[in-house]
Parts: sequence; C-alpha cells; structure tokens
Amino acid sequence: MIFQTIITGLSIGSIYALMAVGYSLVFSVLNFSNFAHGAVITLGAYVAWAVMVNIFQLPFLPALLISMLGAGIIAFLVERIAYSSLRHRRAPSLYFMISAMGMAIALQNVLYATIGANLYALPPVFAQDSIQLGTAVISKMDLFAFGFSILAIALLTFILNFTRVGTAIRAASHDAEMVSVLGVNLDMLVAVLFLLAGALGGMAGVFMGVKYMVYPSMGWITNKAYIGAVIGGLGSLPGAIVGGILLGLVEALISVSTIGGVPLSTYRDVFSFGLLALLLIVRPTGLFGRHVEEKL
Amino acid sequence: MAYAQAIFTNAAIYIIATMGLAIFTGYTGLFSLGHAAFMAIGGYTAAILTYFFKVPLLPALIAGVILSVLVSVIIGYPTLRVKLRSDYFAIATLGFGEAVKVLLENLEITQGARGLPGITKLADPFNTFLFMILTIWLCRNFLHSNYGRKIIAIGQDPVAAEMIGIRLLPNQMLSLAISAGFAGLSGGLLAHYITFIQPAIFNMDLSSLITAGVVCGGMGSLTGPFVAVALFIVIPELFRGLALWRLVMYGALLVVIINFRPKGLFGYEEINLNNAPKLFTIIGITVGLTVAASIYNEYASYWGRFPSVLAALAAAVAISFIVSYAGRWLSSALKPFSAKFSKSMSAFYARYVAAFQKAFTPTRRLEVQLNALKERLAVVRLDHSQPVLKIEHLSKKFGGVVAVNDLSFEVRPGEILGLIGPNGSGKTTVFNLISGVYPIDSGDILFEKKNLVGQPPTAIVLSGISRTFQNIRLFGSMTVLENVQTALHTASNYSLLEAFIQWPWSVNPMEQRQREQALELLKLVDLEEYADRVAKTLPYGLQRKLEIARALALNPRLLLLDEPAAGMNPKESLELVDLIARIHKLRNLTIILIEHHMDVVMNICERIVVINFGSKIAEGTPQEIQCNPAVLEAYLGDKVEVEEYAPLC
Repeated sequence: MIFQTIITGLSIGSIYALMAVGYSLVFSVLNFSNFAHGAVITLGAYVAWAVMVNIFQLPFLPALLISMLGAGIIAFLVERIAYSSLRHRRAPSLYFMISAMGMAIALQNVLYATIGANLYALPPVFAQDSIQLGTAVISKMDLFAFGFSILAIALLTFILNFTRVGTAIRAASHDAEMVSVLGVNLDMLVAVLFLLAGALGGMAGVFMGVKYMVYPSMGWITNKAYIGAVIGGLGSLPGAIVGGILLGLVEALISVSTIGGVPLSTYRDVFSFGLLALLLIVRPTGLFGRHVEEKL
Repeated sequence: MAYAQAIFTNAAIYIIATMGLAIFTGYTGLFSLGHAAFMAIGGYTAAILTYFFKVPLLPALIAGVILSVLVSVIIGYPTLRVKLRSDYFAIATLGFGEAVKVLLENLEITQGARGLPGITKLADPFNTFLFMILTIWLCRNFLHSNYGRKIIAIGQDPVAAEMIGIRLLPNQMLSLAISAGFAGLSGGLLAHYITFIQPAIFNMDLSSLITAGVVCGGMGSLTGPFVAVALFIVIPELFRGLALWRLVMYGALLVVIINFRPKGLFGYEEINLNNAPKLFTIIGITVGLTVAASIYNEYASYWGRFPSVLAALAAAVAISFIVSYAGRWLSSALKPFSAKFSKSMSAFYARYVAAFQKAFTPTRRLEVQLNALKERLAVVRLDHSQPVLKIEHLSKKFGGVVAVNDLSFEVRPGEILGLIGPNGSGKTTVFNLISGVYPIDSGDILFEKKNLVGQPPTAIVLSGISRTFQNIRLFGSMTVLENVQTALHTASNYSLLEAFIQWPWSVNPMEQRQREQALELLKLVDLEEYADRVAKTLPYGLQRKLEIARALALNPRLLLLDEPAAGMNPKESLELVDLIARIHKLRNLTIILIEHHMDVVMNICERIVVINFGSKIAEGTPQEIQCNPAVLEAYLGDKVEVEEYAPLC
C-alpha cells in the first residue's frame, strides 16, 4: 500500500517537476513568474488530443513529440506577444505577471469558445495498465511518466551544461545584461528558453491528459507545480525538481491518510499551500534559492 | 435600463474592492492573488448575519469588514515579516484564497459548495453608489495623511523609508488590512446585491480582476484603477452577444494595456484637467465600442455579417475620434475656469475650516506638534563633556571578507568629522553599521552613551541619527515637497481614524503646518522653487540636496553624509561645502562626512579619520592627514612616491 502510494506520488511529482522546471528556467533568466505556463501546458495537451483522437490517430510517441513541439512554439509566441516589449523596456516583474495572467485568461477562454468545456480522454498508452508487484498494484503509466520525466529533465540538464546555448542560458541567469553585452543575442536566448520550457510543459500536459482528462481549465494544476518551484527556490533547477517531487509525494500520502476517520483528501490543496507557507516562513528563499543582498 | 443598472452596480462593487487594493498593491508593489478570499469573508459574514440573525445591513457589513481585517492581520504578519519577494507573496496569497474556498465548501454554516441562496436584496444601485463614493473619499484622505505617505514611501524605496524611521511591517500590514477591509465591504455588498453566493464565485479570476484593475489602471493612483475596473466590467458586457469570447477579450485587454501603456492608464498620477484628454480618449473608445456592438446586434440580420461588422467598426472609429477630440477641446476650454474655481473653493473651504477650528481645535495637541516641528530647525544644545558617538572595536565580515576590522574612533560634539579612505575601504559599511542596516559582528556603537548595537534601524534613526545615501535614494515618484513631508511624520500625532476622515479641526491645521515646515526645510537647501517637481526629474546635484533636507526633517543630532558631492563639478561641490557649513552652523549639528572630493573634505572637516581595508590608519586634522605617510601610501601605493610627496607638508 505505502509502496503504491509512493509510486503514485513520484509519478505525479515528476510531472510537477516537469512543469516546475519550466517556471524556474524562465524565472532564472527573466526574474518573473510565468503564470501563462499553465495555459501553454493545457494547449500542449490539446495538441496531443488533436493528433491522437480528433484529427489523426497517431500513436503515443509521435503525438508526444508533436505536442512538445507545439507547446514549445506556443510558449515562444506567448513570449513574443506578451513579454518581449516589456522585456525590452525593463518593466518591473509585476507587469510581466499581469501580462501573463491576461494571456492565460485569453488562451484558456479561446479553448472554451472554440472547442468547448467538454472533457476529452486521451487513449491509454498501455493496454494492460497495472502490474502486480507483491501486494501493490502499480500503474504502468505512472512508472512510464516518472521515467520519461526524469529522462527529459536529464536531457535538459545536458543541454544546459554541455551546449553553447545552455552555457549562455546559465550565464544569463547570473546577469542577463552582461551576457548581451558579450554579444549573445538575448532575444534568441529567450526564444530557446521558452521553447525548452514549453516543450517540457507540453510533455507534462500530455501525461496529465493521459492520466486524467483534457479540459480547458486543466492548467489550474500548474499552480501546484509553481508551489513546487517555490518550495525548491524559484530559479533553481534542482530546486524545481526536488520541490515538485516532494510536493507530489506529500500530496499522495495526504490523499490516503485520515485523521480520526476523516479523510484528508478534501483538504489536500490546503496542505500543499500550508507546506508552502510554512517553508516560506522558515526559509523565505526556498530550499535552493539564492538570496540577493542589496548594496546600499 | 435594469440591465444598465446591474452593470453599473456591479462596477461600483468591484471598484470598492479595487480602491482598497490600490492602497496595497498600488503603493507597496506586492501582488495579491487572494483578495477574492477577503471578499468572500466579508460577503459570507454579512450574508449569514442578515440571513440567519436578521441583522440590518450596515452592522452586518461592518462585521464583515472587521473579520476581513482580522484575517488580513493573521495572514499579513507571517508573510510580510519575512519580506517575501513579490512572486512568493503572490503564491502565498493564492494559497490563502484556496484555503478560504475549501473552508467555505466544508463549513456547516456556509452550506458548503451549494452556497447561500435567498439572501435579502438589501444592496441597491443607490446605496452601493454611496458606499463607492465613501470608499473613494476615505482612500483619498488616507493617502494624503502621514499614514498614507508612509506606505507610499515604503513602496518607492523600503530602505530609504526605514532610514527615515518608517517601520516596514506595521505599515505594510496596515495597508493590507485597509485593502482587506474594503474587499470585505465589497463582498458584503455583492452578496446582498446578487442575493446568492457560493464559494466558487470568489475564485482566482475575481482576485485577478481587481489586481489587474490596479496594475492596468496605474500603480500609485486611485483614479486610474477606478477607470480600469469600470472598463473591465463594462467592455465585456457590451459584447454579451459574443458569449465566451468576452473573457478572451478581457485577457487580451490586459495584455494590450500592459504592453502599450508602460505605467498603466494613469500611473503615479491622478486624473486632472491636464491629463483629462487621455480619459476622454478612453471614454471615446468605450462609447465607440458600445455603439458598434449595438449596430452589429441590430443590423447583422438585415445587412449580413460582413457589412454590419464594417459599419460597426467605422462607427466605432468615428465616435472614438469625435469624443476624444471633443474631450480635448473641452478640457482645454475648462482650464482657465478650473483655476478660478479651485481658488474660490479653497477660499471658501479655508473660511469654513477656520470657523470649525475656532470651535473645536484641540489646542494642546497642536502645541505639541508645533514644538516638535520647531525643533526641526532649532539649535542643538551640545553637551561638551562627552563624545556624541563613540565606536569601539567595531568589526564586520561578509563571508570571508573583513569589511570593518576592529575600528575605534569617536565623534566630538559639534564637529564635522571626515571619514576617508580608498575605494572599498569600508566607509559606507561603517555608516550601514551605525544606522543598523547590517547587524554588527562585534564591537560597540555608543550614541550619547546609549548602545545602538542590536537596535532596529528605525529606532536608531528616531533616536537622532539620520543619513543620506551614496547612490541617491529618494522617493522618486513623490514631489520634492512630499519627500520632506514624509520625513516629518514623527511630528504630528493624529490618529488613523482622523487621517481617514481628515477632521478639518485637527488634521488640517497639522498638515498645513507640516507642509509649511517642509517648505522651510526646502528653503534651507535652496530647493523651494522646485517644491512641486517630481523628485526623480530633478538634476543630480539637487537630488543630493533634497536628500539632505529629508534627513534634516527627522530632527537629527548626528548627520551621516555619504559622498554628498559625488558626481558634482568643482563649482557645485563648493556650493555644497557652503550648504553643509551653513546647516552645521545653524543647527549646531554634528556631522560625519564620507567624501572623495578632497577639496571638500579639507575645506570643512575639523578632523579626519582615514581607514583602509576596514582598519583605521590615521586620525587628525586635515593638515596632519595630508602629511601622514601611511595615508599617502594607502592612496598612492608606493614608498618612493611617498618620499616625493612628503616635502609638500
């Protein structure tokens, strides 16, 4: 039972981590929380629905790749439309957040207005979904999502550490202005950044869609991922991963716990936010966050 | 007509919540995604009281407001205390919003997710409108008081605010509490207007609506958010026919406003005749869209879709231009009258205030204030038996870097002490340690025999040490006068309630005097002609002078000047020497001066302390310092060169 819960927790946690990494990537360079990330993830899931169910009947893996690409491009477009002029103007982060919120509202409602509020299922990836492991019944999809998320994050880490553009992104996370003075095209860099964040988000969206359903307001779940990113410390990649997985585990454990016979699952979200509040009070910069001291 | 009334009432209700949030988000820059929860608390409290307990509307609303305020204190204390950056604060408030929603869904008395149907319709367009006017009036009054200025100052520069004795936590909590209170009022009215509330109404979209209203309307403005929320409510309503596309439009509107109007519609300004054309343009576009929408609705079936869209668009553009230009003409035509009008209004007001003051003015309180203000320019009585400031074995490390190393010196009463040293020698760190910005590793700082170690910066400032900054830290969007007025906050002693209502017999005379005193201080540094300029538009040298005036407003006995002549040309720095000497003489002030312009230092300092790598390497009169080999070595580096310079002495 507990083993099963942990696997569920790891699986949802790794999906959180995928999304949280997207928040952290953008935050590390641009210093704002991209609240439109949820809409990008939702659109990614809809792309998968379109190519797997609605228009074509593609198998899972090509559909996953197409959704990742689609979500990446959407994230890039969102940046161009909603952030790039603010970025060039060096607007305060509050403005970015409002612009992101506007974008999120608009995109989500475009879905309502065109496709509608229906819930759509994505076809299952495995015919026989669960495997018996001792007493525990474990979903293959959970294992698959966990493995694939870890793989994707490993790939991202590789890109960041061993490619030129990755090095530039890491440098920009310390001082974007300096990097642009050194001759790196910051617009290009940001475009790559959003493509990467969007692609990971698209992947998360597809996993969410397979695991639950595809619907316009599924982006709400990204608030959890955002909590994960904040717990880990915004702007820190390992932080986002640890924070996301930690949150997934805590939620899975709380969902199956009871206090005095009362199931805690109703209050699951309250616990997540409670965990966040507690952590922020103890460590205002998150687990791996940088603390920046201002010079007087 | 009933439909228009409903839109109007809705807009008024949301405007109330937005005005409150403008006081918080607009001035502190902290972003709340949970304000719908305060509306929920106010709404449910009021509704439960009128529904189950048959309480009349007004006390029910007040109870809702009080509960919202209490909850805001509970939420605000832990989150504001740790100085969360704004993203983190946003997610914390989002969590709070969710928690309240879950709670409402599971409580017995709120009837869970089903909500409360059948609330008596006690709110109508008329009383809602009255409450809206009341809200605007209260918010406006608050912002024009010491309490409001403190909050504005914190939003502009929290460090500088602390350095004029403004405590961050209580003031930020106050502004959160005010915003929560008005959100509670708005929620109560909403409940009694729509007569049916359920937890789902108070979701994040509602929170984001009022936050977006503040940011798009313009940070640091009340009228801007007013216009913005009105637009957000009205424009989508015009396109009711478009059903779900309305919310797409609302989202797009946010993106467009934020991207095309860098400061929102009216950032850091209130609507007046000078910027009224902007307002008329907005109204013009709105009216244009209204007409366009009705043309489309009326004629789409006769003319076909495409022609009617074209006609609607043409009408929208034409009407926008007409209204906008008419507004432009009207506001310029009104300008001469408005000056006369406001003059006669203020004359009338002055007469009426004078009458009230004669009858009610609490003379004793005013006297206390008058004395406090007079002290600002009074001569400090010096006690020559002991040093003003005594620094003993002071040390401070940043990681492995020793910034200040076992430093000891004292400052004698009434002197100007120069603190010099090469770049990076730790001079500014000494100031930061004295003023409490950084905690001290070891050592003592005695100010008039009292040990300052461990005291918060605000307490140190209020005990009589003010400072200026190396990189100017003014409250940039305030006027020059307001910068000084803000620093005079300690002189007046009116209460928060008085600030909200602005009693003409206590707050007004106090504010009046505070303004006069601020002008007096500006005169001292030759800035009175710039009193109404926005501080950040002043030239550099004048900004430095303004910082000095602001520091003086705190009635210091010890003044710390951190490179006041930085960036000045020789002529300007000579003027500055004059100014410092004048202030010094006028008030008998004790001053520590950090400066790189040696002509300034040698001119006015009676004694000089030289530090290098955090340690004192010399102390003495300017003459002695100029010849000190250790000093020459620190500045010039080489033994041989020291030999060459030594004969100058």
